[in-house]
Parts: sequence; C-alpha cells; structure tokens
Amino acid sequence: MTLKEKMRMKSPWILHFDTGSCNGCDLEVWALLTPKYDVERFGMVNKANPKHADILLLTGPVTKKTEDRLMTLYNQTPGPKVVVACGDCASNGVPFFDCYNVDGGIDRVIPVDVYVPGCACRPEAIIDGVVLAISKWKEKVAATEMVAAEENKAGAPPETSASQEAKP
Amino acid sequence: MTSTSDAMVMLVLLFLSPFAIGLLMGLDRKLTARMQNRVGPPILQPFYDLIKLFGKERRVMNNSQAVFGVAAMLLQLAAFVILVTGGDLLIVFFVSGAGSFSLVLGAFSARSPFSYFGAQRELLQILAYEPILFMAIFAIGYREGTFLTNGIGQDLVVVLPLALLALLPVVLIKMEKSPYDIAVAHTEIISGPYVEYSGRYLAYTEIAHWFELGILFGIMTLFFQDPNIYLSIAGKIVIVFVFFLAALIIDNSTARLTRGRMVRFTLAFGMTLIVANILILFLADKGVFR
Repeated sequence: MTLKEKMRMKSPWILHFDTGSCNGCDLEVWALLTPKYDVERFGMVNKANPKHADILLLTGPVTKKTEDRLMTLYNQTPGPKVVVACGDCASNGVPFFDCYNVDGGIDRVIPVDVYVPGCACRPEAIIDGVVLAISKWKEKVAATEMVAAEENKAGAPPETSASQEAKP
Repeated sequence: MTSTSDAMVMLVLLFLSPFAIGLLMGLDRKLTARMQNRVGPPILQPFYDLIKLFGKERRVMNNSQAVFGVAAMLLQLAAFVILVTGGDLLIVFFVSGAGSFSLVLGAFSARSPFSYFGAQRELLQILAYEPILFMAIFAIGYREGTFLTNGIGQDLVVVLPLALLALLPVVLIKMEKSPYDIAVAHTEIISGPYVEYSGRYLAYTEIAHWFELGILFGIMTLFFQDPNIYLSIAGKIVIVFVFFLAALIIDNSTARLTRGRMVRFTLAFGMTLIVANILILFLADKGVFR
C-alpha cells in the first residue's frame, strides 16, 4: 500500500441519516462526536452532506416514507463509499420487520457493507463497525483504481490506432 | 526583486507557504479539539482530507460550477503570487476579491436552496470584510506613499496599530469562525457555498480558501519589518499567531450571530479604528501633537 493510499484512509467523512429510528441508535452515533469517544482523532467528521461523505451511518428500519430519500442520499454520495447499518433495526428491521409501513432492513433498499448489532448499538460497537468499514473502503478504493487503470489501458489502444491511421 | 537572495526568499515563501497554511489549519483543528477537551485529529489532517478528495469520483452539477471552482483557486493563487513577489497591494486585493466572487458564482450556478443561501451569505460577508481590508491597505498606502509590498517600511505596527486591530473581525470571517461563520454555518445550512461541490472540486475550493487566508495573513505580516531578517520573521510569526489564537478563543467562546449584526459590527468597528488611525497620523504630520 502506497503512502498516498494510507493518507486517504485517514479521512473518512460521515453522513448520518435516520431512516425511521426510535432515536436510540442516533444518540449513540452522536455520542461518537463527544469528548468521551472523539472520533475526530481518526479524521472522522460528521459532514451532514451526502456530497462530501464517504461513510454512511444509517439507523432505524426503512419506513415507506424514507425509502426514496435514502435512495437519493445514496445516489448523491460520490464513490468510493461504504454503508454501515447501525443497530438491529437497520440490520434487519426487528421488531418492525412485518409492519405495514416498513420495508425492513437497510439492505432491502441499498447495498450494505457493514452491520453493527445492538439495540441500541454501543458507541464502541459503532467505532468497531467504522474501522471495519474503513477496511472495506480500502478494498473499494483499490477496486475502483484497478477499474480506472483497466479503462485507461482499454481506452488507450483505439486512440493510438486512430492516430496512427490518421498519419498516412 | 533586487538581489538573488531576495529572489531565493521569494521562491522559498512561494513553495512553503501553502504547506504552512495547511499546517496552520491542522493546528486550528487540533487546538479547537483540545479546548473542547478532545484529543483531536493529527496536525496533518487537512492534507489527508485533500488527498482523499482528489481520489473521489468526479461529479459536478454543471460545467460552470466546476469552472468557477477552479477559477476561484487560480485567482487566489495569482493574488498570492503577486503579494509574495512584491507586487501591488491593490491588485492583490482586487484579484483575491474576484476569487471570492468566483466562489459565489459557483454556488449560484447549482440549483440548490442550500447553495443559494450560502452564496447570498458569502456576498454579505464580502460586503462586511472587503471595505475594512481595503481601508487597511489604503492606510498602509497613505503612510508609506506606495502600495508595492517591497517598498513598505519598518514601523507600520507602531504607527498603524488600530488598522491592524481592525482586521480581527476580517480574520474571523475569512477563517470561517464563530460568531461570523455565517456562510458555512455548520449546524444551520450545512456548508453554504461548498454544499454542492464534491470530490476534487471541493478540494479546489478548499485550496482557494487556503490561499485566501494566506493573502490575509500575508498582508498582516507587512505590519512588521526589521533589517535583521530573523527578528523580522519572528515578528511576522508573532503577529500571525496572536491573531490566530485570538480567533480560536473567540470561536470557542461565542455563538453565531445574525448576518445583520456581522455587517454592522464589522463595518462600524473597522471603519472607526482605521479612520481614527489615519486621522491621528494626519494630525501628527501637521504637527498638532508637538
């Protein structure tokens, strides 16, 4: 791993979104920012803006009303991005899994990378989840760079052949 | 620009200043965290953030937004180069102002209410700090008879202390610090003019902000010069750090004020101090205090 990649991993910016939670997990997510847990020491900042975010911390079962908004937020986040489902409700919708107004877990709507268990999930568990999310993020960064490199390789030959054809 | 040693100093300044400003921003976050009894991020954090942003997916709302973001950075860079190479302070002021305005246009070009709010508030901030900065530069020009940075004499901090003090609200506004972080009101309108930028374009606007701060602190360092180069550098660093620490302490002990109060206070405070300073100088020149 190059120095550049190491430096990139030190700046995970967060978007926290409540998809219908009871606010239990939300309180624990916000507790991460307090002096006791202080996640800014890992470079994590709550940006409250999908366009600046790298890691999505989502809480609560997805209600029918928040489904579209969750999709929008996910699509607005530029890649590479990682989704963390915080708490039992976000993971699989319990105890609301068969409610008429609930879709279930976050993974029914968008792909989830890390599930954090607990009702409510402990701040320590969320930190563990985010550390796992950063390792996932590392894989995704490597994958996107490989794709980009392959695209460059694939894109390069036609250009050169075209330029060669242009030169008689 | 007269001798090779001067040219060397300029080159070193030109290449080291962006890193120095980045470190200052990192120190800002670290000290803020310590004041809130937190551990805080590493001092190199702003550089990590920039490198991360350059690796993100390219996404723009429209082409003009990207163009204005890059233009903001290039204009601020141009102004910074003019300042460091001993150019005209007025040109520095106007080119840097064009850079700030470019950021506003970039924010207006995205059809987003948050971005519009941010742009309107950024305009109000420009309305608040530009006259003060201009008057401070005017006071330097009045005293020295020139606006060229390499023609400025030694005792500015002694004869223009009030003009230097008047720049404190300007430092607060430009560093996006409470009580005057009107445009990038974190808990209120997310991040104002930066809200629709992402990835490398956000990084460009961030670099523009670094150079903007570099220009402001650069103008403030002109207030202290000494024939002894080490004493000169020490004095300049002291000026920057006094204002930097004052901004941090004010930031951590105050809440955000309304935009109207920002414009009124900044203009009233700054104008009064600078006009009083120029008046005292004028009367001293006429021999009133003899």
